[in-house]
Amino acid sequence: MAIGVKVVARPSGIAQDMYVSAVVKGLGVTMRHFFENLFGKKHIVTVQYPEERAVYPKRYRGLHRLMTRDDGSVRCVACMCCPTACPAHCITIVAEETGNGAEKRPAIFEIDELRCVVCGLCVEACPCDAIRMDTGIHAPPVEHRGDAVLGKLDLLAHTGKSEAHQGGLGGEWRGAPPVRTG
Amino acid sequence: MTPPETQLPAAPATVTLTIDGRQVTVQKGTNVLEAARAQGTDISYFCYHPGLSSPAVCRQCLVEVAGQPKLVPSCYTPVADNMVVITASERVLTARRQMLEFTLVNHPVDCPICDKAGECTLQKLYMEWDGHPSRSDVNKVHKPKVVDLGPTIVLDAERCILCTRCIRVCDEVAHQHQLTMAFRGDHEILTTAPGQVLDNPYSLNTVDVCPVGALTSKDFRFKMRAWELYTVPSVCPGCATGCNVEIHHAQGQAWRLVPRPNPDINKFWMCDEGRLTYKELTRDRVVGARLGDDPAPLEKAINYAAERIEQVRQEGGTVAVVLGAQATNEDLYLAARVAIDVLSARVFIAGRPAVPDRVDEILRSADVNPNSAGAKIFGRAAAGGIPELERALQNGELSLVWAIGEDLPLSEEAFAALDDIEMIVQASHEDELTAGADVVLPAAMWAEVDGTFTNVQGLVQRIRRALDAPGGAKPHWELTAAIARRLGVSVDEPNVRALFNEMKSKVPEMAGAEWGRPQPLVQLRFANSRG
Repeated sequence: MAIGVKVVARPSGIAQDMYVSAVVKGLGVTMRHFFENLFGKKHIVTVQYPEERAVYPKRYRGLHRLMTRDDGSVRCVACMCCPTACPAHCITIVAEETGNGAEKRPAIFEIDELRCVVCGLCVEACPCDAIRMDTGIHAPPVEHRGDAVLGKLDLLAHTGKSEAHQGGLGGEWRGAPPVRTG
Repeated sequence: MTPPETQLPAAPATVTLTIDGRQVTVQKGTNVLEAARAQGTDISYFCYHPGLSSPAVCRQCLVEVAGQPKLVPSCYTPVADNMVVITASERVLTARRQMLEFTLVNHPVDCPICDKAGECTLQKLYMEWDGHPSRSDVNKVHKPKVVDLGPTIVLDAERCILCTRCIRVCDEVAHQHQLTMAFRGDHEILTTAPGQVLDNPYSLNTVDVCPVGALTSKDFRFKMRAWELYTVPSVCPGCATGCNVEIHHAQGQAWRLVPRPNPDINKFWMCDEGRLTYKELTRDRVVGARLGDDPAPLEKAINYAAERIEQVRQEGGTVAVVLGAQATNEDLYLAARVAIDVLSARVFIAGRPAVPDRVDEILRSADVNPNSAGAKIFGRAAAGGIPELERALQNGELSLVWAIGEDLPLSEEAFAALDDIEMIVQASHEDELTAGADVVLPAAMWAEVDGTFTNVQGLVQRIRRALDAPGGAKPHWELTAAIARRLGVSVDEPNVRALFNEMKSKVPEMAGAEWGRPQPLVQLRFANSRG
């Protein structure tokens, strides 16, 4: 069965053809908002950044940060899970030996924030809670593309203490779950 | 059972048995695991390796055999006529799952920092068989980590699942007892044998056979994750044996070579030196053409080379073409065709000098060129070697030398004599020869070209292009063809495949050569474990 076609009558007439009434009506709306905002109730949605800041949702994904262990060393073990998961290929890691028990750490850890699509898959992929996007900082404007590439020290500068249970739970994992702080 | 006939018939060389309800006929003496594999049923295992003996220590390949009360390890059980094997009953699967759980009791499961992750047999079997969190509520036994076993290998004893494959590689492949197990029970660890270090020339095979990340190669450790690598089948260029290898590459760079099984040549193994030949791909490469010391466009350098050859011919001088044994059959076939049939040049065969120390009865050959046999075939009877070339140079018999490859181990006097004559070299690496040559043309290396090598047995084996040549480097045959065309020689093969076909039809020694099928580029993350 063919689909029926409903023909809608186009409005016509001299007033319609001249657009004058429509222009006046539209300007009326504009002027009403103008005077209301000037003298009466404010409807302005523009945030006067940077004097005013919008309130971001709790799970807002901002610039990345690298977490540290209790002793201040970087938590990242250069497992390459985040660059593997990254759909934008914006993470570059070069691993090195630590020479201590942790075995492996990143010698180079770079994120190109211009390439980043802010999907958060790197955070999901990380087995060590080493990378997070909870800084709340949105990517700042940069003069040169290279300035948007954040290195290990830049990312560590955003740091806070990790909430993850350090070193796993070992044989105690059947016991009470660890108390999460914060 | 019927009593034997008075005249016994010859025992058949094959055995027919039933595996999972399907009949399979295999060679006598085969084990059940291989028989199942031949029939298309994979049985999981850790300690078994087709190139090694079977100690049956991992118990991961247990199967049910009708009439036997206990499950039997399939790697250790030879096939027998009318045997009925069940590989996937509930009893078998439970036993294997439980064995896997035992294996994992003390394994640290530190896959994120383990180099084997992505190609680990334990990881793969856990994902296939178990996939549950640990039920063990005792602390794991801690063992030494980052133990230096020798110049090439680091051991993490915690990850080791005590399969003893590495011990058997040293014992049965390298014939040196350098590894052993110490202590007992859950304190058992792998360690070097008393007074030994793991330094045999086949030590890195232990890393390949390790089903977990216990043994890691110092050279490859932490460099690249296995799942990022692409694999391309090729042939080791390290010596005349021609071990089959896989080039593992990513990001336009080769990261390691691993052996590719070939029962006729290298079985499952290759030597440590051969594995490091990939480093040659980035060492001191010639990246652009040069006229003397001045960089020049490739076109100009080729034109100049052709002009010089033409001039020498018109003046009645002698052109010498040196066939380097590092180049492929196709390169050398074309060079020899141009040299002998058109230029009537004198042909010499060169290559890297032999290293008599490295020869052994296993794989390593003293000749460190991958294609010496090919060079001999194409040089035909007239070709001289390095001594003849030295003599000709010192007697001033030559006016121009055109070398395919930069490896010319000449004596000092002969080298000095090169200064007086024209020298055109198609080179991959910068060295003394390229420093003094009149024309240097950048040549691609083995991992950057398609072609074939002839090994010491006369087997013609295919090498495949895995990487882009650096800078403006071109395959030898393209450079040779470009010079030849400017000399008025018709070289109408559009690609190396056509050249191979022509070579195959013209050279009787190459009649059996196969180009092989195109290989899809496989990333290791889709290739399962290699352990």
